[in-house]
Amino acid sequence: MITNIKIRRTVVCLLCIGILSLSVYLLASPKKEFSENENRYLAKFPSFSARTLLSGEYTESLGDWLADHFPQRDFFVGLKSGVEIASGRKEINHVYVAQDDYLIESYAEPQNTERITDTLVSFYDKIDTRKVDVNLMLVPTAVTIYNDKLPAHAPLSDQTTTASAIYDACGIPAVDCTDRLFEGTARGQLYYRTDHHWTTLGAYCGYLAYCDAKKMTPVSLESLTAQTVTDTFAGTLYSKVNDYSHPKDTITIYTNPADDLTVTYVDTGEVTDSLYNLDYAAEKDKYSLFLNNIHPLVVIENSTAASQDALMLIKDSYANSMVPFLAHHYKKIYVLDTRYYRDGPSSFLAEHGDITDVLLLYNMNTLDGDTGIRGIY
Amino acid sequence: MVFSCIPFLFFFLPLCMILYYAVPFSWKNGILLIFSLIFYAWGEPLYILLMLFSTALDYTNGRLMERFGTTRCRRTFFLCCSICINLSILAFFKYADFAVSSINGLFGTQFAQPGIHLPVGISFYTFQTMSYIIDLYRGEVKAEHSYTAYLTYVSMFPQLVAGPIVRFADIQEQLHSRKLTFEGFEQGLLRFMMGLFKKVLIANQAGALWEEIRILGAADTSVATAWLGALCFTLQLYFDFSAYSDMAIGMGHMLGFHYNENFNYPLTAVSVTDFWRRWHISLSTWFRDYVYIPLGGNRKGVARHLFNIAVVWFLTGMWHGASWNFILWGIYYGILLMLEKYVWGKLLAKFPRWIQHAYAFLIVVFGFVIFAITDFGELGGYITLLFSFASGTLADTRFLWYLGNYGVVLVTACVLACPVYPWLCRKASMLSRGTGRILSACAGIGVLLLFILSTAYMVSDTYNPFLYFRF
Repeated sequence: MITNIKIRRTVVCLLCIGILSLSVYLLASPKKEFSENENRYLAKFPSFSARTLLSGEYTESLGDWLADHFPQRDFFVGLKSGVEIASGRKEINHVYVAQDDYLIESYAEPQNTERITDTLVSFYDKIDTRKVDVNLMLVPTAVTIYNDKLPAHAPLSDQTTTASAIYDACGIPAVDCTDRLFEGTARGQLYYRTDHHWTTLGAYCGYLAYCDAKKMTPVSLESLTAQTVTDTFAGTLYSKVNDYSHPKDTITIYTNPADDLTVTYVDTGEVTDSLYNLDYAAEKDKYSLFLNNIHPLVVIENSTAASQDALMLIKDSYANSMVPFLAHHYKKIYVLDTRYYRDGPSSFLAEHGDITDVLLLYNMNTLDGDTGIRGIY
Repeated sequence: MVFSCIPFLFFFLPLCMILYYAVPFSWKNGILLIFSLIFYAWGEPLYILLMLFSTALDYTNGRLMERFGTTRCRRTFFLCCSICINLSILAFFKYADFAVSSINGLFGTQFAQPGIHLPVGISFYTFQTMSYIIDLYRGEVKAEHSYTAYLTYVSMFPQLVAGPIVRFADIQEQLHSRKLTFEGFEQGLLRFMMGLFKKVLIANQAGALWEEIRILGAADTSVATAWLGALCFTLQLYFDFSAYSDMAIGMGHMLGFHYNENFNYPLTAVSVTDFWRRWHISLSTWFRDYVYIPLGGNRKGVARHLFNIAVVWFLTGMWHGASWNFILWGIYYGILLMLEKYVWGKLLAKFPRWIQHAYAFLIVVFGFVIFAITDFGELGGYITLLFSFASGTLADTRFLWYLGNYGVVLVTACVLACPVYPWLCRKASMLSRGTGRILSACAGIGVLLLFILSTAYMVSDTYNPFLYFRF
């Protein structure tokens, strides 16, 4: 179609220059180890061996390395997402580009409901429910609570039915926070726009539902000290979509001035008086500021607690932002992340006679995908 | 290595071209050969020996046929040697697993599968070397004396792994003398870019939607969605494969070679017969010249004609993959071609053009469903979904959802599957100088932007399958 010879020659020259300069730049430029935007480690230069060369692994890794360290990778990755969104794509990497600048993770058809139920049943069966009060809280994600924000015609993904099925089948008393969350939508932002977690306000709604079930008087939000710790939070969903023009999130944390806390991270032996590690506010993975990222076991003691009870909280990362509200009600909280705690909560419970309450808290998205719940007993 | 990846486009190709143009002519075949072997070894380091063996065999056979082939009988001997060994290699490496599993299935036996992994491009290069020896037997080419030249012909990286199937007769002269011009380089590079855009920006996207629809449960697949899936696979296959041919032809041009066209807008065919004149032309002409016509074509009576069609289409199906669905796909076309030749072909030609287009298009799209799904259980399920007009949902919101998400890509694909581009080129050549310059500038900027966008897709895309690697 380029009939003009001069123009054709110019275009061809520009293409050649472009290709050559990008390849030289790729080899000469300094390499990054970690991509902040994509939130992952980039491929390492493959080490050479005859075996990997003959199996074709070496050349494959070399290709990955080249793609990962391509000059201006962030620009190119962002360009692709931008063009896709402009062309009408409303779902990228299983994330919906929803209204009001929300990125909402889609809910895949659950695969492991039966296995999860079996695990819960065998855990529950071992507990003497006259001594210990057990509750199960399955938190719906933004795809359920903010379904009105989803793009038109987005395939329905029904977390409620799955949650009810699990509640019914396992027999553990349910704490359904769905209504509290729907009610809370009027109060403010319940989920991050760029991350798959709920906000502290969302967690507060979950906490209200737990108080309803336990007949506890919730602490009012107004009596807590609110602090905005960052307004540049670009979470996991942001990294999946990679649309760099997307607005960032704000994280607000709450502390109860009445609490006197001792927080022990058992794996590292670290002891502090705060439920937050604000060093993470300066990093990419800002949600980790809640309970200092991931620890198999955290023990939280509150010398000014409203009761003498002790809670064993078996949970995923959703609970990390709810613990600050729960801390007020318990003398002691044992926080177990079953994805990393290897010794089995059942035996933990048997060894700790002081535990009066058990709360199992998972969000509907990681519940099915995460293999960690198998480690529950 | 695929063409649409960073290592190829930014390292292999520029390095190859620079060296190729830098050395004197007598070295060019050598450079090309070294790069072709690296290209093959990149993904298949061990099977390169098989290719070297296969070419050495046909080269030697060629020389022997030339030296000792004084009588027809002797020449037939060399021909048979070559064909038997070539087909045995192909049968062993491509069909052994399939044969064992079919026998186990038929007779309930428990033979262990040999577990051979298919050498890339074996179906293509075996057919190329066979074309040489058959043409030599027929006296249509002269025996090649330079092993380097012969090996260069077989292993040439632009067409090594996915065609087009280049005949030795078409290229022998060019192997020994060819003209390299700026003009050829330019046109070749632009043709290559067209292929790159088609592959990265269209084929991969249509393929992603097809994969999504394919794994949906039956309850979530409305009739419209099922047909959309079939359309997506058709577009994916066409754009993937024709893009590969575009890139091969383009690179051939840059290297001074002229390959024949392999696709001629097959989705706009007016009949099944027409479709096969436009789809994978190098393969259908191969079967025509080396199987169909030697068997007698249509000149030996109706019964023999039908038999010949059946043989050719059984083989065509089988060539596409070691699985029953490919054979079924071949038979499907064999039967349709017989019907067109003897039942409704003449009647069809009397209908309005749009009906002929629709007829051929639906047959092709449905045919590719058979092609796409290897497992017969899954295939049956999918076909049921396509035709559950009465029992199923006709269209649902999920269908609208897919249309919204992929509408732009699909519409672009459908437009480009029609001969819009050659039409534009014709119009452009008739423009006045001034307007022609403006149009050229716009098109040039378009090419540069699409190149940047394709780079963005290659850098970030993890989805880069290449369908014709199976063949």
